[in-house]
This record gives sequence, structure tokens and C-alpha cells, in this order.
Amino acid sequence: MREIVTIQAGGFANFVGSHFWNFQDELLGLAEDPNSDQVFKTQYLNMDVLYRAGETQQGIPTYTPRLVSVDLQGSLGSVSSRGTLYSEMPSGTSNVITWTGNVSTHVSAPHKKNFLHDQEEQKSGIVNGGKGEPCGEIQDRDIVNSLEDGVQYWTDFSKVHFHAQSLYELSGLWVDGQEFDNYGIGRDAFSGCVRGEDMNERLRFFVEECDHIQGIQFIVDDSGGFSGLAADYLENIADEYSNTPVLLYTVRPPSVYANSRSKKQTIFNDLHNAVSFSRLSPLCKLIVPIGLPCLSKSKASAFLQIKDEKTYHCSAAYAAALHSIGLPFRMESLGPTADLRYVSGAIDVNGMVQMLAGQARQNMVAILDAAIPAPPLMSRKQCCYSILGNLHPLTPEVAEDMEDLQAVESVSVHGALGSDGLRAAVGDVRDSVDAAYELSPTRPRFSHLSVALCPLPISLPFPSIFANSVGQHGELLDNPVPGSTSRGSLDVHSIPVAARLRSSTAVLPFLEKRLENLRRFGIQQGAPGVELLKSWGFGKDEVEDMGETLSNMVKTLDPHPYESSDSD
Amino acid sequence: MSLKVLNPNAEVLNKSAALHMNINAAKGLQDVLKTNLGPKGTIKMLVGGAGDIKLTKDGNTLLKEMQIQNPTAIMIARTAVAQDDVSGDGTTSTVIFIGELMKQSERYIDEGMHPRVLVDGFEIAKRATLQFLEKFKTPVVMGDEPDKEILKMVARTTLRTKLYEALADQLTDIVTNAVLCVRKPEEAIDLFMVEIMHMRHKFDVDTRLVEGLVLDHGSRHPDMKRRAENCHVLTCNVSLEYEKSEINAGFFYSDATQREAMVAAERRQVDERVRKIIELKNKVCSGNDDNFVVINQKGIDPPSLDLLAREGIIALRRAKRRNMERLVLACGGEAVNSVDDLTPDCLGWAGLVYEHILGEEKYTFVENVKNPHSCTILIKGPNDHTIAQIKDAVRDGLRAVKNTIEDESVVLGAGAFDVAARQYLMNEVKKTVQGRAQLGVEAFADALLVVPKTLAENSGLDTQDVIIALTGEHDRGNVVGLNQHTGEPIDPQMEGIFDNYSVKRQIINSAPVIASQLLLVDEVIRAGRNMRKPT
Ligand SMILES: Nc1ncnc2c1ncn2[C@@H]1O[C@H](COP(=O)(O)OP(=O)(O)O)[C@@H](O)[C@H]1O
Ligand SMILES: [Mg+2]
Repeated sequence: MREIVTIQAGGFANFVGSHFWNFQDELLGLAEDPNSDQVFKTQYLNMDVLYRAGETQQGIPTYTPRLVSVDLQGSLGSVSSRGTLYSEMPSGTSNVITWTGNVSTHVSAPHKKNFLHDQEEQKSGIVNGGKGEPCGEIQDRDIVNSLEDGVQYWTDFSKVHFHAQSLYELSGLWVDGQEFDNYGIGRDAFSGCVRGEDMNERLRFFVEECDHIQGIQFIVDDSGGFSGLAADYLENIADEYSNTPVLLYTVRPPSVYANSRSKKQTIFNDLHNAVSFSRLSPLCKLIVPIGLPCLSKSKASAFLQIKDEKTYHCSAAYAAALHSIGLPFRMESLGPTADLRYVSGAIDVNGMVQMLAGQARQNMVAILDAAIPAPPLMSRKQCCYSILGNLHPLTPEVAEDMEDLQAVESVSVHGALGSDGLRAAVGDVRDSVDAAYELSPTRPRFSHLSVALCPLPISLPFPSIFANSVGQHGELLDNPVPGSTSRGSLDVHSIPVAARLRSSTAVLPFLEKRLENLRRFGIQQGAPGVELLKSWGFGKDEVEDMGETLSNMVKTLDPHPYESSDSD
Repeated sequence: MSLKVLNPNAEVLNKSAALHMNINAAKGLQDVLKTNLGPKGTIKMLVGGAGDIKLTKDGNTLLKEMQIQNPTAIMIARTAVAQDDVSGDGTTSTVIFIGELMKQSERYIDEGMHPRVLVDGFEIAKRATLQFLEKFKTPVVMGDEPDKEILKMVARTTLRTKLYEALADQLTDIVTNAVLCVRKPEEAIDLFMVEIMHMRHKFDVDTRLVEGLVLDHGSRHPDMKRRAENCHVLTCNVSLEYEKSEINAGFFYSDATQREAMVAAERRQVDERVRKIIELKNKVCSGNDDNFVVINQKGIDPPSLDLLAREGIIALRRAKRRNMERLVLACGGEAVNSVDDLTPDCLGWAGLVYEHILGEEKYTFVENVKNPHSCTILIKGPNDHTIAQIKDAVRDGLRAVKNTIEDESVVLGAGAFDVAARQYLMNEVKKTVQGRAQLGVEAFADALLVVPKTLAENSGLDTQDVIIALTGEHDRGNVVGLNQHTGEPIDPQMEGIFDNYSVKRQIINSAPVIASQLLLVDEVIRAGRNMRKPT
């Protein structure tokens, strides 16, 4: 078994993470639930890769994510940063034993607990959440509705118990989310006070107990200050765990694309994006940019009803894709016990990185594509193209239909249904995808396929983001269900998902845009952003280095670029 | 944690309104912090929206826990936190002094005086006060063996402002001995060489000094000893786990046998490293009852742990980077980055190594070392907020001792310096100043009294009476401070109440700078949001 430690930094990253861990929690619960579908009982997906076993001081066993989550102070809502399991004995917490003089107590208004937590409290004593048997249809509907409009913090819809070391709040910054909006401000946040050291210690806690860590999965909200913080964090990680590969997902909600009206704001955003991408990418082994400006209208949302302004919605879709991408890291088939009936195509983080970024062309930026839900396999006669053909990018600014003979990709499909509507066997999925590659006009140079039988469980705190053509098991209905336009966890119980990481020249527009913006606004003679970059702590040389980094990334993919704006 | 101070930003205010906003913000922050000051101050318990508890008697910690939105208040808070970073103490004093400078200025500004004039006066007063401090401070000769009594008095003064007396006094010895342990002649004191470790213990409040090191992890093999005496200690930063190295880049999975061969080759390399360590162990432990302990900064995987355990070796992996340095200072030997040239000289020594387990938390004690230059302060407390508060106090105490040694001087406390400096400014300096800047000097001088006044107020004494008594004594040539119990003047020297010279100096230096910026309000508004930390 090879462990993965997860890091989540920043608001949207923690929203995505919250859904991600809810999925895991649901899988854990279903595996133990006598009434659940057989497919959830024999998942052959090793949860120990992501979770750790421990015990509280009272000797109660715990099972919690190997996770360090970093966010601004006050972003945890009604959840204590110590989590719920390792909380201290209430006795004696309120009297001060270090001071005999005056004591004054300042109590902030308690955060309203969300429905989920209320419900949790009723069934006391349960340590790892698992699936709370719904107390009744009416109550569930109340929860769903209240979450649809009421989610403010990611903890509002989280049903997972976290370890006391997992949730880290940045104190002493005195900024709110809106002000924490650029790379520069985030650099100070890491280095100031003892924050950086604290974060390193949290990570070390989780890494030390790993017998053989396979990698670190790092999810960062790169739309603001957290990219600066993450860069410094990653630098420390590269130093300390030099041989542990880091898989970096940068995520951002559609809402951040909304506020670039003024020219000044546009320059600000474009520079932030260029700087943050060029600083983050050299510090990991593989970087996957995620976050469409208009997710709701994108091709990836063909079967989804997403509201772009709802963080709760968008993060759910991205979390589903990340879950799929990570499945091969957890497949228990590296050894002789492999049971190909349930899973196939295991690969570890290092293998994935080597495959995508370590080939002749050392491109370390990968595109994420997903099909949520994945369409059913078609019978042989019909076009077998469907799963591959329905994978659409969640990475912004990528070219469509770009022919790239050097492309390398890794596809993960789980819970796929056959043309008969029944769950398709692993072998059939393989055959179907292989056949689709055969027929496809543009084939990648190399592809890897991972298949698992177990679909994505859609558990109670999940937004209503499915179109009304999505059935209970994620099948695509010929006739949409009349009534509501969107469906959520009460109607849809599981879905098949396919996701793909792709190393391809299709990412060139994304790279070129950042390179060009950096040159135009930050490097060229009289560039309007020089002062801004300076205020973020970057002198001329550093900015030029960043330009170099970006231009090398472009050259890796496109050795003979059409020289465009290199006029200085 | 929200203890909101004042209304948020208002960038569009006109100049006079902005000036008053600054004054109010500074006064507001002063109000929040002033009850903290001194041994009679109030401890604050902050209960967050999710029920988290923070306990603080410290301006620094309190500021960090507050969600401050007003940009002026943020500027002041940054100055105060910088004060703590630089000198380790004096945050509360800084904030209340800035507040008082603004309050005193307000009187004159309301009478129509231009802030520029006040700022000029501040500058003169500041320079004069710093000169006066040089004369006023009490030199302490350090030599080879620092005077432990004076170090303890300074530590005790600061600790008693954070913890009740008996606890403070217990910690006084601990922090003093800890600093003396890590101090090396002719070198700056590196307080990082004092590890501060904590344990949560339901009923226990206890702090002790461990001569040696306490690590917050244990061995990861069921058969390794939990306790060993007479230990040779190898401190290393060597990977003892199988990992796919970078050389394999570009290698493909299609060829299974090639892959197997690679794996086997790398495993052999790791085993080889382990074998070299075992060789060294056999060299030093054969024919005696000695034990062998490996503390590694990198990982050690289960097969390597097996090999080591079979030889009776205790091994810890992923030690903190800083512990590499601490171990060597505590046990001797050297930290090695490779196992190629291991010799017995690389090894350190500890009389006793043992593990302590609390739930899932493990601790390893490396004790009974010879002539240690690194040590650990171990804090036990019933809950996190108590531990955190004691930790803050310990840090303050350590800084106070270090400052004293490095300053080679101390300053009489309990308000003695502040009153003396005020009288000096009023009686000597003011008359040498031309024109209305005199009033700036006067405002500065009166602002200095905020410390003794607040100390009096926090003790429930009448501030007017106290100030009259203190200034009277000073004018008669007696340097006195405030007896917090009676309100009578006392001799701080006799009572052993000493503050750090560098802390006082930093306060005098930085507070007027910020106050001046806040008074010359144009600049402040431009500084606005993206203000960086003052350095
Ligand atoms: N026993 C005492 N009697 C009177 N004043 C004292 C005593 N001990 C300390 N002080 C004064 O208390 C002040 C420090 O208080 P403290 O709460 O530590 O604030 P700060 O954060 O500014 O250091 C100093 O001015 C010091 O001289
Ligand atoms: Mg103090």
C-alpha cells in the first residue's frame, strides 16, 4: 500500500476537497452497509491510501483523511479547527488555571450549525461518519433545499470527521477573502510569523507515519493569494521530500472570471494568472489547471444543471473528476491478488507523472477532461466512440480538435453502464474504449486506461446539479423526467464517471496567453504592470525568469513557434 | 475569532475626517489592549464561533486572533507584531503608547494646531528619549559566566505578567537555564536550539526542562525497544526507503522484467545503506551492553526498519530538520548526509532513550546527555488553549533572558523609566525647543505616562494620585516605580522588576513613527490596503 497525502489550500480548493472527502466517506459507509449494492462492498479500492487509522487520547479508534487543509481565519464556519473527534473534554475548559487575576470572556456569536451537523449529533457515538440512514424523506428534502441556497462555508456540507492536525487557519493576516486576491499578498502569508513552520509541521505529521508515500496531491485555489502561499509551501516540500512526486491541481470557480471589467483589473488578473502559473509549475511534477469561466454552458455540462455563481455546485463537478483521476492510485491490483473483475489499470502517482510528463516531450501541464456522468457503452455496431467522445475539458483555454501525434493520455472510467443499462464488466469497458481508439481519427501516441466497477456514489449533501435526463444510476434517459429541471442526491444515487489527464499541444493557447500577458504587461519596455509586480515582490530579473519558464513550456510543445510579440 | 474593532475602511473621507478616523482607531485599539498590561492585567478568553477557545494575556497573541478590518488599526497591529518579532515583548505597550500619542495630539489638533508641528516635536522628543535611555539603563556585565540572578529577575518580571506567580517562578528557572544551556561564548544565542514540546494531559499542569531532546514521534517497528540505556546516536539525513529515482525518468511500463530488475537494483542500494549503519553499530556495540539509535530526517521504509530492528537498533524517521542540529548539539557527533564514510566519531551519546505514548501520540526522549548545548522545555497541560498560553509565556521568558545577555543592560520597570523620561523631557528638553514644536514634545512626554497610568488603573488605583506621587519622587531625585498593591512608590531595583533594554528602545523607536504617519494623514490613505509589514 502506498499512501497519498492531500493538501488543500484556499477557499475553492477546500470546497472541491469537501465534496471529494464526502465521496470517500460515502464509499466507506456503503462498503459496510448491509443494504447497499454489491458493487460498493467489493470496491477493490484501498481507502488506506487516502485515510489513516488513529486513536484519540480516550482510546477511541479513528479513521480520518491524510489531509492538511489551509484557509483564511474564520472560513471553517461552525466547525472547530481541531475537528470533532479529538476535541477535548468539556470539563475544565472554561476555567483559567494559569492566571489568578481578572479574566474577561469574549464570545463570538456561535455559527448556526447546518442541518447535517444537527443530524449527526443525534446519532452520537459514531466515529467515522459513514452513511447516516436518512431519518425520513421530508427531512432529507429540507436538508437538500437549505443547502442549495444556504451554503456559505465548505464545512456546511461536509460530513467527514477530520483529524485535529488537518484544519489550519491562517491567523494574524487581517485580510478578508476579497483582499487576499493576489500572488504577492500570499507570499507574506506563508512566511510571516510561524505560519509556514506550522504548515510544514502539519504536513510532516502525516508524512512521518507513511510507510511508503507515493505522492502528495495538492489542490490550490489559484485565483488569489493562495497561489503565493502554495508556491512557498511547495518549495519547502520539494526541499524536504525531494523524491515524493507532487501532483498539483489548480482550481478556481467561474465567479473569479466575472470581475475583470476595467482595464486595470484585467491587467491585474492577467498578471496574477501568469505569475502564479509560472511560479507554481516548476515546483511540482505535474500541474493540472482546472476551472472554466463558464462551467454551466460548457460542453462538460451537457448533462448537468450547474449554476456558475454557486461554489457549492461547481466544486462538486470538479471533485467528481478528481475522484476519478485518482482511482488508479488506489487500485489493489499491483500484487498477485489482483482481481480484474473489479479493477484494472493500477498505476501509482510516480507512474502517472512519468507517463504524462516524463516522455520524450517533457510537458508537465496536463489537461483534465471529464464525462459526468459517463455515457453507457454502445453495442459494437454502433459507434463505440461514446465515452472518449464525451470527455470534455475542465481546463480552460484549451484548443479543440488539435491533432497531436505526440499526445499521451490516461483515462479512468468507473461504474460504466452497458448498453443494456446494467453495469458493464471491466473487460467490456476496456474493449469498448480500445475499439473507440481504433476508430478514432486522432489517436494519441500512448494511452493508459484504468477501469473500476464501482461508480461514484451521490450522497445526501450533494447539490442538485444533474439534468433531468439523468436517471437513478446515472443512466441517460431518453425522456427527461417531467417536473423539476435539475436532480440531486434524492433522485440520483450513483453515476458512472470518466475522466482523463492529457498531455497535448491543445494546452498551448493556455500557455501562450500567460506568456504573452507577462511580456505585454510585465516585461516589455514601459509595461503597465511593472510597478504592480514590484509590489508583489518581483524585480525585473525574476519577472524575466518567469517569462523564460513559460516560454520553455511553450517550446516543449511547439519547437517552431510563430514568433509573435517578441518585439522588445 | 471576531472581536471587531471599529468600522471598516473609508478611503474617500476628507482629510480632517480621515485624521479623526485614525485617532479613533488608535484609541479603539488601545482600549481593547490596555486591560492586558502588567501583572495585574486581565487575561482574555476568546470563544470563537465554532466554540474554539483561545486564552491570551499577550498583546501579540490577542492581535493575531482578532479580525481587524480598519486599515489604521491594521497598521498599528502590524507595528506591534513587528515589535514582538524583533524584540520578543512589549506589544501591549506599543499599542497603548501609539494610542496615547494620538490621544494627546487630538487635544492640540482640535485647538487648530497643524499635525506637522506635532510630528516635528515627536521627532525631537524621540531622539532625546533614546539618549536618555542610554544614561538611564542599568549595565550588566556578562563576562564568561552571566549573572544568573539578574537574568532570573528579568525573566521573572516578564513571566509574572503572563502567568500566576508560582507558575511564573517555576518557569523562571527553566527559561534561564535553557538559555544558558544553548548559549555559546562569542556567538549570538539561537533560541531555536531550545525545543518547546507539549503534551496534553488530562489532570497535569507541569513544565520541565529536559537536558536533551524530546521528539514528537517514535519508532515505527513493533519489535524495536521502547527504552534503551547507553546509546550511541546516529543523526543522519539519508533516504532509507525504496523510491523510484529520477534516473528512471522516461522508463516505460511495457517491459515488466526490466521494471522488476530496476526495482530489485534500487532495493539493493537501500539495503546496502542500512548494512553500513549496522556495520557501524557492530563496531561500537560489540562486547558491551551499549545500544544504537538512528534518527533520520528522511524516510525509513518497513524492510529497512526490519533489518535495523533485527540488530536491536532503534530508528526514527522523518525527524524535523531543526532536530538534526539540536541532536548534534545535545548529544555530540555530527549530522551525516551519506553513510559512505561512517566512523564512530560521527556518533553522539545519550545515557537514556525512551518512548512515551499518549493515545496515538508518541514521544521519544533523548536524555542523560553529556554537556548539552540544546535542550527541551516540555509543557504539560489539560487542553490546547492552556498549553498555548504557557508556550507564549515561555517564549517571552526565553527572549527576555536572551535580550538581557545580548543587551548587557536592563531598564528599571514598573513605570520607573517612563516617568523618569517624561520628567526629563518636560524639565530639560522642552525649554531647548524653538516655537510650537515644544507642544509636540509635551504631547510625547505626557503620552509616556500611559504605561504607569495603565498599570495603576489595572490595579484599581487612582491614576491621578499615582502619577502625582511618582512624578514628585522623581523630581526629588528618587527613581521609583509603582507598587501595584498599594499604589505607593517603590524602588524597582529592590523589588527586582526589570524590563529589557532592547524592548524599551524598540517601543520608543517605532511607536512615534506610526503615530506620525497616522497624523500626516495623506500618506496613510495612500498606503491604504496593500501596506506591507513595517521592518
Ligand atoms: N511587578 C510589577 N509591578 C509593576 N509593574 C510591572 C511589574 N512587572 C512588570 N511590570 C510592568 O509591566 C509592563 C509590561 O507589561 P506586559 O503585560 O508584559 O506588556 P507588554 O506586552 O507591553 O510587554 C512593563 O512596563 C513592566 O515594567
Ligand atoms: Mg511583556
